[in-house]
Amino acid sequence: MTVLTLARLFARRSGGDAATVLLPAVAFAVVTMCTTVVVGGVFAFFTLDGPNGTTYRFLALLALVLLVVPLVSLSGAAARLSARRRDTRLSSLRLLGASSALVSALTVLESTAVAFVGAAAGAAASLAALPLFGLLHFDGRPLGGAIWPPVWVFFAVVVTIVALSAISAAVGLRAVVLTPLGVRTRVVSPRARWIRALVVVLVLAAAVAATSSLDSFAQIGGLIAVIAVLLAAFAAVLGVLGVVGPLVLKGFGRRWLKRAERPAQLIAARGVLDDVKAAWRQVGSLAMVSFVAVFTGIGVAFTQTTGSNDPATRLLATDIRTGVVLTLVMSFAMVACAVGVNQAAAILDRRALYASLDRIGMPVDVMDAARRRAVMAPLLVVTIGSALAAALVLFPLTGYTLLLRPAGLAIIAACLACGIGLVRLGLAVTRPVLVRLVTAGVVDPT
Amino acid sequence: MQNLIEARSLFKDFGTTRALRGVDLAVAAGESVAVMGPSGCGKTTLLHTLAGIELPGAGQVLLHRDGGAVDVAALNDRQRSELRRTAFGFVFQQGLLLPELTAGENVALPLLLIGRARADAEAEASRLLAALGIGDKAAARLGELSGGQQQRVAIARAQAVQPSVVFADEPTGALDSATSAEVMTALLASTVGAGRALIVVTHDAGVAARCDRTLHMRDGVIVETAVRGSAAAAGAAS
Repeated sequence: MTVLTLARLFARRSGGDAATVLLPAVAFAVVTMCTTVVVGGVFAFFTLDGPNGTTYRFLALLALVLLVVPLVSLSGAAARLSARRRDTRLSSLRLLGASSALVSALTVLESTAVAFVGAAAGAAASLAALPLFGLLHFDGRPLGGAIWPPVWVFFAVVVTIVALSAISAAVGLRAVVLTPLGVRTRVVSPRARWIRALVVVLVLAAAVAATSSLDSFAQIGGLIAVIAVLLAAFAAVLGVLGVVGPLVLKGFGRRWLKRAERPAQLIAARGVLDDVKAAWRQVGSLAMVSFVAVFTGIGVAFTQTTGSNDPATRLLATDIRTGVVLTLVMSFAMVACAVGVNQAAAILDRRALYASLDRIGMPVDVMDAARRRAVMAPLLVVTIGSALAAALVLFPLTGYTLLLRPAGLAIIAACLACGIGLVRLGLAVTRPVLVRLVTAGVVDPT
Repeated sequence: MQNLIEARSLFKDFGTTRALRGVDLAVAAGESVAVMGPSGCGKTTLLHTLAGIELPGAGQVLLHRDGGAVDVAALNDRQRSELRRTAFGFVFQQGLLLPELTAGENVALPLLLIGRARADAEAEASRLLAALGIGDKAAARLGELSGGQQQRVAIARAQAVQPSVVFADEPTGALDSATSAEVMTALLASTVGAGRALIVVTHDAGVAARCDRTLHMRDGVIVETAVRGSAAAAGAAS
């Protein structure tokens, strides 16, 4: 009863907090909608039974693997922001003598409520989105009704997302329960440990060995085994990227720090270096997506250039490009949402600091530029770096297709540019939160 | 002594609450003034209004500079922000420094904001930190510093642009009494000792006792002024 009463009191909106309810709710809605559509897509691809049926199924699973990382990242960001909104008040409650159980129950209840509202809205939105995705043509015909997953998928997605949010909220607020006076006192930045390099080498070696022995796997378990091995190798590469990526960002961060002359550059570079893993988590999912997009984009363009007369092959090439564009757009959309949510959380975390920076005369534009740069610089490194890496890997083909079929590559490049713009938009959306907070920070009637 | 900053008949309302009721105040170069009073008496509002963070509902805040007096309240938001960057220094209760920057970079920040080259700004920051006895901490992260050391970094930051006036809002509020005394010594030496005006909002009578004057506020009015070394209160401030 006490929990419900307090939850009702906490649910009352207070000025600047609107964004902290709205953003996670929207993020949960996007996650739910994207997950439902992606699962629907996988179901639809499994109904394609033409000569390329197996390839379509493999590609559907590949897209699913690629989209899992940004989905999880966005879901986590939404849950963290949803929980953070209550940090201060919960800390106060704790100091007033509320039990750990009460604080935890309130946190989980409120975050779960926001997640449920968002997820339910997302499920409703997917009802409107699925028919649109059903218009997409694959294997020579529209996906149509095949994109509708079974009803239980809708419920399963909502329940999973709400449950993940509840767990994330409980874990995220452990600090409030343990140390109600908790102050940010980070001494040293979390280090991207070099010892992991060994694990990276071992995992890569295993992946290369497994993909080099596909014949053996085919003999043992047939096509299913081959697909499983390929997906596992792909997931392993994603995991490796998660280890190598922060090290690469760290290298860039040091260069940015060395060259920084203006306050925004200095703060942004230090911000990236302060928690290079967090910087990577925010944009890292785009590394593989960008690499795969350019890799397949060039491959498809090359296939079309060589003018294969096999209609099934030509159809498959076009469908792969459509799939790549879809995966790119969805990944960027989720990263943009995650950036928006993470930034709103970061601004709220540092409300007193931003108010004090305003007092010492730092223009809001400088504060905004610093946080913008701290996101966009890693994003550009990851996206453009991965795209260039793919182009380099396929170097002779890249030049060839650039000369003979530039349109195919231009579509991928345009998608990447739009995606980067989308993330920039995600940042712009949170600027009013910063401006409001700085303005509110100076109002103190004592 | 020449007045550096003056408040004339300051009024300030927050909704239906009147936070300042005709406050008059003048602070001279090399003078330190403590502002005391119960919570909600208007002392922080007075500090914010003097610093151009808040605009008064009525009255004037005059900053005397080489080129003449500037009415802070008549400036627009951008101009007041520039004034805070160039003419004022601030020390807050919790330091409120950027945790991702080193101590030296935090001190250099105001200089970077006014366009100084980074190497130049960091050299000046090192000099200021050394003057406050923590020259060896320039490359340290804030989490590696004690509360007192962090406040010294904040004091160094407040001196970076060589401001005319330094505003301190409960600068020792989060420190123990011994550290508080040390920080106050550093603050006075680097402000009043360098010919600047220092205005301190504090609840600590020990801190106030080290300032040249102590203003006691109640309900938005200065009700009493005590001058150091003088046992007699001067009554309501003029």
